[in-house]
Amino acid sequence: MASSYALPASAMTHGHNHGHGHLHSHSHSPGRQYSANSPRSLKSERSNGSLHAHSLSESHLEPDHTHSHHHNHSRVREPSPSPYLPTPPNSNGLPPIAAFEKQTYQTYELSPALSQASPYEPPSQHDHHEHSHNHTATSPAAPRSRFTSFLLPFMLRWPLLHTILAEKDSRRIFYFMSLNFAFMVVQACYGYLTDSLGLLSDSIHMFFDCLALGVGLFAAVAAKWPQSERFPYGFGKIESLSGFGNGVFLMLISIEIMIEATERLADGRETKRLMELFVVSGLGLAVNLVGMACFGHHGHAGHDHGHSHGHSHSHSHEKSHSHEGHHHHHGEPCQDHKHEHSDSHSHPHETHQLLDSAPPKAHSHSHDHDNENMHGIFLHVLADTMGSAAVMVSTALIHLTGFNGWDPIGSVVIAVLIFMSSVPLIKSSARKLLLTVPDETEYLLRDTLSGVSDIRGVASYSVPRFWVSDGPVGDGEKLFGVMHVVATRGSELDEVRERINEFLVRRGVDVVVQVEGIGESGCWCGSGGTGKSPLAQ
Amino acid sequence: MASSLPIPAPPRTPTPPTPIPEETEEGLGIDGTAQTVRSTISFDPNALSPAVDSISGRFGSMASPMPPSTGLNTPSLGNDGMMAPPPPTGGQRSPFNFQTQAIKDTPAISNSNIGKRRGHRYKHSSVSTQHQIFTEPPPRAPLALPASLPIPTLKEAWTSRSKEQTRRMAWCACHALVAMYVLYSAAGSLALTALSHLIFFDAISATICVAVDVLCNFEVWKRSSIRHPFGLQRAEVLAAFAMSVFLLFMGFDLISHNLKHMLEGLGGHEAHHPHSHQRVSPGSVDSAALLSIVATLTSAYGLKNHARIGKTMRFAYISSLPSILSNPSHFLTLSCSTIMLLLPLLTITLYIWLDRLLCTLIALSMFFLGVHLAIAQGLMLLMSYSGKGVGEVMYEVNKEPMILHVEEARFWQVHYGLCMANLKLRVRGDDVSLQKLRERLNFLIKNRLGGGYGKGASMKWEVTIQFTIER
Repeated sequence: MASSYALPASAMTHGHNHGHGHLHSHSHSPGRQYSANSPRSLKSERSNGSLHAHSLSESHLEPDHTHSHHHNHSRVREPSPSPYLPTPPNSNGLPPIAAFEKQTYQTYELSPALSQASPYEPPSQHDHHEHSHNHTATSPAAPRSRFTSFLLPFMLRWPLLHTILAEKDSRRIFYFMSLNFAFMVVQACYGYLTDSLGLLSDSIHMFFDCLALGVGLFAAVAAKWPQSERFPYGFGKIESLSGFGNGVFLMLISIEIMIEATERLADGRETKRLMELFVVSGLGLAVNLVGMACFGHHGHAGHDHGHSHGHSHSHSHEKSHSHEGHHHHHGEPCQDHKHEHSDSHSHPHETHQLLDSAPPKAHSHSHDHDNENMHGIFLHVLADTMGSAAVMVSTALIHLTGFNGWDPIGSVVIAVLIFMSSVPLIKSSARKLLLTVPDETEYLLRDTLSGVSDIRGVASYSVPRFWVSDGPVGDGEKLFGVMHVVATRGSELDEVRERINEFLVRRGVDVVVQVEGIGESGCWCGSGGTGKSPLAQ
Repeated sequence: MASSLPIPAPPRTPTPPTPIPEETEEGLGIDGTAQTVRSTISFDPNALSPAVDSISGRFGSMASPMPPSTGLNTPSLGNDGMMAPPPPTGGQRSPFNFQTQAIKDTPAISNSNIGKRRGHRYKHSSVSTQHQIFTEPPPRAPLALPASLPIPTLKEAWTSRSKEQTRRMAWCACHALVAMYVLYSAAGSLALTALSHLIFFDAISATICVAVDVLCNFEVWKRSSIRHPFGLQRAEVLAAFAMSVFLLFMGFDLISHNLKHMLEGLGGHEAHHPHSHQRVSPGSVDSAALLSIVATLTSAYGLKNHARIGKTMRFAYISSLPSILSNPSHFLTLSCSTIMLLLPLLTITLYIWLDRLLCTLIALSMFFLGVHLAIAQGLMLLMSYSGKGVGEVMYEVNKEPMILHVEEARFWQVHYGLCMANLKLRVRGDDVSLQKLRERLNFLIKNRLGGGYGKGASMKWEVTIQFTIER
C-alpha cells in the first residue's frame, strides 16, 4: 500500500486511486455505508448492485473488521489523505463496493443481514474515528511513509537501495533491519561502557536477528529478479526457501530454549540483576513491537494464538486511541479473508488485474506465494517480542514472589508457542519446494491430461511431469511441464505438437512437448517403439 | 478405490487371452478390466512415471532395498516393465480403468503372452485379437494417467525396514550417543562442546541417510505421479537444506556462547570452568576424541553419510585429498577430533585461550560449511543447475545447421540424481533427420553434463526437446 504513495505519482495514479478506494471501503466496512470512489470500484458497484447486498451481509464477519484495522494502519501512514482519498460523506449513500469479490461470491444468498449491519457502527462515527487517526496518529508508521517518499528521489543514485525501497515488503524489512541494527549498536556501546553483561548479550542476539532479516531482505529483493540461464525458472521459490529456513531456525531456537530452560530449572540458578534485565528486555520489546507493527499484516496464515497475541500487544502500546474498534476483532479466528485483503491492498496494481480477470482461486494462490518470506520474518519478530515480554513478566514475578523458576517456565511456554507457530510455515513452504502440485490444481491437471489423449494424432504419452512455478509477484502461479507424446502412425508430427501445445496453453500450462513417431526408439522415456527402456530404471 | 470402478469396455469385442500379472490376488477386479482390452501395446509402467533410482545402484552395501512387501499400502509394481496387456498395475491405482487402444505394433510381445495363456475367462473371448481384425472408432477412451501413490505413514515406513536398515538405524543411535558422550565429557571445555555439536550434526545426517534408504522401499519416493512430479526425492535435498540451517544455527550458538563467556571473563567474573585444562591428563588418550573419529569413519564408510551432497559440492583445496577426507563435512569433523586427540598426547595444556580459540575456529568453519551447504542445496531447490558446461552445450546446439532458433533452453537439477534439460527449438528438416538431431542433442547433453561431472556418471539427465518446424 505504501509503495503507491512512495512512488512518483504520475506513473500510477490509477492504481493509486484504486488502492485507496479499497483502503477506504475497508476501513469503513463495519459501517457499511461507504463506498470507495475510485473509478473502477464505482463501476463494479453499478454493475452488480445485487452483489453488494451480499457483501454487506458478510460485514458482520470478522474479516472486515480486521480489515478495518489494517486500514487504519495504512491510513495513518498517508501523508495527505485529501487528494486521493474519496471523502466518506460523498459516498455515503452508496453501498460498499464489492471489493472483495471473493466474499461476494461466497455469500450470494444473504441479504437481510444488511439491516443488522448498519447499526453496528454508524458511519458518521466511523468517519470521525478515521479523521482522528489522520491527525493525531502517533504510530511509528506515519513518518515512515513520508520519509520514504522523501527518501526515494535521493535513492535513484543507488539502484540497489532504490529497489529495496520501491517494494513494500523489502522496504519494511529494510527499515526494521536498520532500526534493529541501530538499536544493536547503541546497546552494544552502552553495554560496553557500563560493563553491563545483559545489554551486551542482548546486542549479540540483536545481531543474529539482523542477519536473519538480511537473509529475508535478500530473498524479497531476489524474488523479483528475472529468469536467466542459470535460473531457468526465476527466483520465485526463493521466498519459500527463506521462509523455510526461517521456520527451521525458529524451531531450533525453541528447542534450544527448552533445553536451556530445563537445565536452569534443574540448576536452580539465581537470576541476578533483575532491574537491568527488566530494562533491557523492555527496550527489546519496544523495538520488536515496532517490527510487529511493520510486519503484522503478513503473518496471518494459519496460526491464531501467536498472531492475536502479538497484535493485541502492539496495539495496546502503539496506538492507544484506536483500540476500541480493533481489539476484539483481532482475536477472532477468521483468517483467510483478511489475509487476502491485506494482500490486495498492498499491491494496488496487482489487485487491479486480479479483480478484473482472475478467478478467486488464482488470487489466493498468488497471495500465498507472496507471503512465506514475510511470514517467516513476522514469526521471527513475534518470537523475539514474546521472548522480551516473557522476560519482563518473569522478572517482575521473580521480584514479587522470590521464586526463580518463573524465568525458565516462561521461556518454555514461549518456546512451545514458537515451535507450534513455525510448523505451518515449514509445511507450506516445504510443499512448494518439493514441487508438490496442490490438490485443486492436481484435479484440473488430471482433467487436462485426459483431454490430451483426445487430441487427434496422440497415440500415447509418457513422463508427464508438471509443476507449479511461482513467478515474479503478479504473475501468480503458473504450471510448467514436460511430456513426451507418441504420435499415431501417419500423422504429421509438427501438427500434433501444435495441437497439443495449443490445447495446453489454453489450459494455462506452459509445456515442452516432445513428439515422437510411433516406431521411434531410443528416448529415455521409453515411450517409443519397444516399450521397455533401459534408461527408465 | 479406482480399481472398484465398473468396467467401461463394451463386451462386443473379442478379447485377448489374459495373461495374469504377478499380483493376481490383489488385482482381481483389475483382471476383469484387463480382459476388456481389445488390443495390446506393450506397456511399461515406467513410461508414465519412471522411477528414478539414483541411490541403490551407487551405494554398495546400501543396495539392498527390501522388496516392497505386499502387506503395505503400496503394492509393488512389477519392475520388468513387460506387462502386457496395458496397465494392470497402473489401473490398480489410477482412477480410471481405461486402457490404451492403440494398435499393436510389436507382435513379438504378444507372442510372448502365449506361454502365459490361462484360457478364456471372459465369455465373449473366443477370438484372439492378435489378428488385429478391428480398428478403433474415433472416440477413444483417455489414456492412462500416472497413478497417484500414497505417502507412507511413519508406521508403514517403520514396518517396511529390512534387517540391514534396522542395523543402520541402530548405528545412528550409537552415533548420537557418541555425541552425547562427547558433550558430557567436555566438562566445560568449549572446544569439545563444539566438537560434540559437529558429531551431533553428523549423526542426524546419518539418520537422514537411513531414512532415505527406508523410504526408497516405497513407490512414491521414486516414481513420479501427478501430485509429486519427481517423486519425493527432493525431500532429501530439503532435509539436507534444513540440516545446513542447523549447522549454521549451531555455529551461531557456539559463537554467541563463546562471546558470553569472554564477556563474563572481561566483567571480572570467575571463569566457571577452571578445571578444563585438566580434563585429560597430558600424555594420555582422550577417549571422547577417539570415539568421535571412530563414529565418523563408520558412518562415512558404512552409511555413506554426506556422500550425495559431497558429490555435488566440492572445495577445490581439499578435493585432492583421499576418499573421505575430500568431503568437507568429514574433513571438518575428522580434523577437529584429531586435534583434540593430539593435544593431550603432545602434552600441550589446553589453556582457556586455546580452548576458546579452537571453539571459535570450529564454530567459524561450521558457519562456513553451513553457508556453502545451504547455497548448494538452495540452488537445487531454486531449480537451477549449478554445474558447469551449459554454455558450451548451448554453443554446440547453436552450431547445428538444422536449428534455426533456440526459443527456450532450461537446464536444472531436480535432486541429487536427476537433472532436466527442456529445450524448445525452431528447426528445419524432415522427420527422420529431426529424429537423428534429437538423438544427437540427447547424446551431447548427457555426455557433456552428465559424464564429466563428479566421479562417474551419477547424474541422470532427462532431455525433452520440442521441435517447431519452420517452413
